[in-house]
Amino acid sequence: MHIAGYKLGFESRSKNILSVLKGRYGRFIAKGGADCRFDVSETKGRQTPFKPAVSIDGTCLEIKRGDFKASIDVRTKAGTLKAAANEQCLDAFLRSFLSFLLIRSGGFMLHSAGLVKNGKAYIFPGKSGAGKSTLSKLAASAGAEVISDEINLLKFEKGSFRAYGSPFWGEMRADGRPGSWPLGGIYLLGKAKVNKVSAVAGGEALKLQLRCLVNFDKTPGAAERVLKNASSLLAKAKFERFDFSKANADFLNLI
Amino acid sequence: MTVEIKKNLAYRRIAGEVFVVDAPRSEMHELNGPAALIWEGLAAGKTKKDLVKAMTAEFEVDGETALADLEIFIKDLLESGLLSAKSD
Repeated sequence: MHIAGYKLGFESRSKNILSVLKGRYGRFIAKGGADCRFDVSETKGRQTPFKPAVSIDGTCLEIKRGDFKASIDVRTKAGTLKAAANEQCLDAFLRSFLSFLLIRSGGFMLHSAGLVKNGKAYIFPGKSGAGKSTLSKLAASAGAEVISDEINLLKFEKGSFRAYGSPFWGEMRADGRPGSWPLGGIYLLGKAKVNKVSAVAGGEALKLQLRCLVNFDKTPGAAERVLKNASSLLAKAKFERFDFSKANADFLNLI
Repeated sequence: MTVEIKKNLAYRRIAGEVFVVDAPRSEMHELNGPAALIWEGLAAGKTKKDLVKAMTAEFEVDGETALADLEIFIKDLLESGLLSAKSD
């Protein structure tokens, strides 16, 4: 599977696991070698705890919640994954693992809508109810490519940020596709009666960025990286506030 | 009593403010103006005397008022769990 430039290999004897992986991430499945390999076995697991927990002991990274447990040697990049054979469980594992990798590569995952215009990616971070899915649906209906209506993946490469195709979607429930686009700008999403783009202060931009960040690694080292990456994004990308009326796709003319 | 910044915190000056992230508690604190100056002073290991001197140099405030403000702010930081008492 190739996601955000990471080549993830999964081997399993469980037909259920393979079936879920192929069905859920079909468009991201690719042939060739893998950077990280997981030997996957099926387990029933429990409903709780629901929130993934990340810990590192020496070179061993462990990510677990009630229905999965992954252990990977970060030196050899080989590991095991015991998981329930359902989409929610494998999604939760992949989100946690990719978030871990992205933060260490200078990027992160953001709760946001993402779309492509003139070959560039525009990201709209917003809290629940801000209009991420509405904006994405309106953009798609107007012919724009939507990267995701829920979680977008940003990576820092060769001095600038790029957005990568995301398999993690919200209401639109699309599959996403592999691909990457240079970041055109970030619009902090808020509800309003009339569409409007305006300037935003650095501190405010940072706060919303951090609130929308997906991170399960609670170690001080991860927090330091997150602050560093967020600061870098603030310096490299154009941030503006976008008051969104949710009325139609005219907003595409404002970005 | 001398104090120090707790070890499990991450902080960084961004866009003129100091952002402090307490990851285990999923909390973020935003410090500006004198608060940011005090925090960075504590991070650099400055004494209260040094901090008061820096405050009076940077802001329109006399030494007595600066010391009183510093004591209140340090108390707030201790109550918020961002500082711990340091054994001398």
